[in-house]
Amino acid sequence: MKRNGTRVGAWVAMIVGALYFLLPLAATFEFSLKMRRDSYSFDAYRVVLGDPAFRATFGYSAMMALLTIVVGILLVVPTAYWIQLKLPRLRGLVEFITLLPLVIPAIVIVFGYLKLFNSSSWLPLTAHERSTDFLLMASYVTLSLPYLYRSVDTGLRAVDVRGLTEAAQSLGAGWGSILLGVILPNVKAAVLSGAFLTFAVVIGEFTMASLLNRPAFGPYLQLIGANRAYEPSALAIIAFLVTWASMGLLQVVARNIHGTRAETSA
Amino acid sequence: MKRHLLACAVLGTLGVATAAQAQNLNNLIKAAKKEGQLTTIGLPHDWCGYGAMLADFGAKYGIKINELNPDASSGDEIEAIKANKGNTGPQAPDVIDVGLSFGPQAKDSGLLQPYKVSTWNSIPGAAKDAAGYWYGDYYGVLAFEVNSDLIKQAPKDWKDLQKAAYRNAVSLAGDPRSANQAISAVYAAGLSQAGNNAARAGDAGLKFFAQLNKSGNFVPVIGKAASLAQGTTPIIIRWDYNALADRDKLNGNPKVEVIVPKSGVVAGVYVQAISAYAPHPNAAKLWMEYLYSDQGQIGWLKGYCHPIRFNDLAAHKKIPQDLLAKLPNPALYKKAVFPTLQDQETYKGVITKGWDGVVGSNVK
Amino acid sequence: MAIMESVSEGAQVKPVRPGNRLWVWLGIAPFMLFALLFLLLPTATLMFGAFQDAQGHFTFGNVSRLFSDSILDAYWISIKISAVSSLCGALIGLVLALAAIQGQLPGWVRPTLMTFSGVASNFAGVPLAFAFLATLGRVGLVTALLRDVFDFDLYGTGFSILSFAGLAMTYLYFQIPLMVLIIAPAVDGMKKEWREACESLGGSSWYFWWHVALPILFPSILGAALLLFANAFGAVATAYALTGSTLDIVPIMLYAQIRGDVLHDQNLGYALALGMIVITGLSNAGYIWLRARAERGVA
Repeated sequence: MKRNGTRVGAWVAMIVGALYFLLPLAATFEFSLKMRRDSYSFDAYRVVLGDPAFRATFGYSAMMALLTIVVGILLVVPTAYWIQLKLPRLRGLVEFITLLPLVIPAIVIVFGYLKLFNSSSWLPLTAHERSTDFLLMASYVTLSLPYLYRSVDTGLRAVDVRGLTEAAQSLGAGWGSILLGVILPNVKAAVLSGAFLTFAVVIGEFTMASLLNRPAFGPYLQLIGANRAYEPSALAIIAFLVTWASMGLLQVVARNIHGTRAETSA
Repeated sequence: MKRHLLACAVLGTLGVATAAQAQNLNNLIKAAKKEGQLTTIGLPHDWCGYGAMLADFGAKYGIKINELNPDASSGDEIEAIKANKGNTGPQAPDVIDVGLSFGPQAKDSGLLQPYKVSTWNSIPGAAKDAAGYWYGDYYGVLAFEVNSDLIKQAPKDWKDLQKAAYRNAVSLAGDPRSANQAISAVYAAGLSQAGNNAARAGDAGLKFFAQLNKSGNFVPVIGKAASLAQGTTPIIIRWDYNALADRDKLNGNPKVEVIVPKSGVVAGVYVQAISAYAPHPNAAKLWMEYLYSDQGQIGWLKGYCHPIRFNDLAAHKKIPQDLLAKLPNPALYKKAVFPTLQDQETYKGVITKGWDGVVGSNVK
Repeated sequence: MAIMESVSEGAQVKPVRPGNRLWVWLGIAPFMLFALLFLLLPTATLMFGAFQDAQGHFTFGNVSRLFSDSILDAYWISIKISAVSSLCGALIGLVLALAAIQGQLPGWVRPTLMTFSGVASNFAGVPLAFAFLATLGRVGLVTALLRDVFDFDLYGTGFSILSFAGLAMTYLYFQIPLMVLIIAPAVDGMKKEWREACESLGGSSWYFWWHVALPILFPSILGAALLLFANAFGAVATAYALTGSTLDIVPIMLYAQIRGDVLHDQNLGYALALGMIVITGLSNAGYIWLRARAERGVA
């Protein structure tokens, strides 16, 4: 009896949620079909998809997103783990630092980069394309820090970090194996959540890419949206679908890397 | 007659200097080609026909064009120069195209370097810095861009906007607290209400929009091509060249009418300048030479912007007839008011500070 | 989880010898170095601007100008919209996460919700504002539908998408998915056994949620709500695109100072940013205090 009640409630929540999220998308889609007067057509989509800049910039941003996710995980997971295990008093400080990118406008951060890392500074990152790419990736990791850290932190709290570490150490495992073999599989769901958020942040990001002058998807979106009527809507739908597909792909890949152990923690 | 004499004098001067200039120009081209790149900022391809001009310049001299954020506002462009001081990477802009009041501001902050193009003397004195730090490039007037599929009877003047027929229809193309275009629109409305009295136009403009907001005619959404077509902002007050470019691009879907109001015609001048820290100064100077040549000026005209040397070109009959035919009636431009720098300071202060009290949520 | 912590209390804890202190700190060195280089230093170099005037002299003038009426109003509206959207977003997001993870729905629902949330969490700015205008605007799809099919005049009731309520509704589009993604790992951690144990001891569903599940989830919910608050506080593109010139929130004001065509007082812009950091700092402190109390209550 109770189980049915739960299920009905869950379905109601899902349906209401779906309505709220899908209606605006439907309206955008409907508008994007109006490029040809008096009839629905996919003209706007043809224009957007035929643009080589679309593919080039999306590819660049997708690559940057993957790099950001990898570096971000490498940076955040050991840190969150260490804080929880050895330095719980620093938790507040580290959390505050990770919240800063949400509140400090990206434009302030990137102006800071231009000041600190320009071609006449001690670390001239902006002088070459590859090093600017590195700087851009670092900025993306910074921007996704709040989401990654919060996600991983929440995931770690649901797991007995201390107990697992003790057990692994008593079996003779070193820090590396503990992190890779014990901790990471247990927070896979959390890491995946953080990875999704990071991917979305990087794909749509505009300020950093624009001011550092890199050919990313964000500036391209902005360019199309500025002066055109129907193409921006088509682009929004396409970007939405492609990003969603990429995340689906990410999920499939993640599931296959570590087998099915992650799901058993629930 | 007088204009003809003046034109002859100008031509004469130019003719004498041409020989020496040709030599200078060749040196400049060589130096620019060696630099190999020009970094621009804030130049949308649909704004004044920049797209075609950039491509033409790049092809003509074999110089790579590196375009930074085309959506940058005048403030953004100035900030980009400041932020890239000491940076010779591709993030540093060489040249900027900003609103009139930004010229002196940037010059005072030491952000510009002077350069006088070969056609310097045919640029009106009021639109350039005497020492050559900044110089007017083109201007347009504020007009109403109307979605004529939704609005059957287009407004002809500012006071028409108050009519009940335009409920939930009128919008600005920017935020009057920070965008030049929007502030000028409020000023223009005020000018038409205050009978061209510049001192009172700022307040009159605010009163006009307060009324527009109270009656429900004003839509606080920032007007763009998309919102015009979708119907949220069927009337947008913006520069005529942007409105005309929109009309062409939308290609009848929806049908767009561009109307220059009968009174309160305000012209906005933009200025060109070279960054003091430009990584490619010679390419920048060559770009300026290109822009101020007859070919460059007509390039702007193709984008519906009135180039600063318009009168000079018209006098020498250098403007193709078919191009003239595509522009709005020149009689409307005769009434255009060019606000002086002092005027601009005054009304900008009044409007940016007063807007919130007039339309902002403090009113609700 | 509380049960787990108390169990491990008895387990052997490796003592931290004095010489080990440095080695322990080394563990977070990479993170600290990264944060220093790419977050703190760049911000600090510009934050000096908050205490400088246009000529570069030191001054408290910018900070004192923060206390002018219009700026205080802007901070207040910002705080209001962030609080409203984060509280509602946290609640609704929690319900959706619970429904998908613990609601015994078909297997495809959860991964779909997660991936969709990933995309939707960053669907903000002009596209989002436009989507809502195209849906609930005066000539929007749903508005027209309600009028033509249900004979219901939405705007006749006084509703407008171009208002505080409309903006909050729009903000929820990226707040709810963010909540879902952040709280999912915690909801995951709730074991079926707890529910079964509660039921077998005679506890009702309601009892389970109120006395067992919620207290356990509370610190995570709080942390997520704080993230949502900061997220909304810093959001500017959506607000700008939707309510444009009517609602004055701090990020819009900040942008007007740093980027605007007119106002252009950078130093005031940096002072505004400093104010935003202070507010986040305060809410963070509040969160730490609340969380410490919650954890004490559970243990």
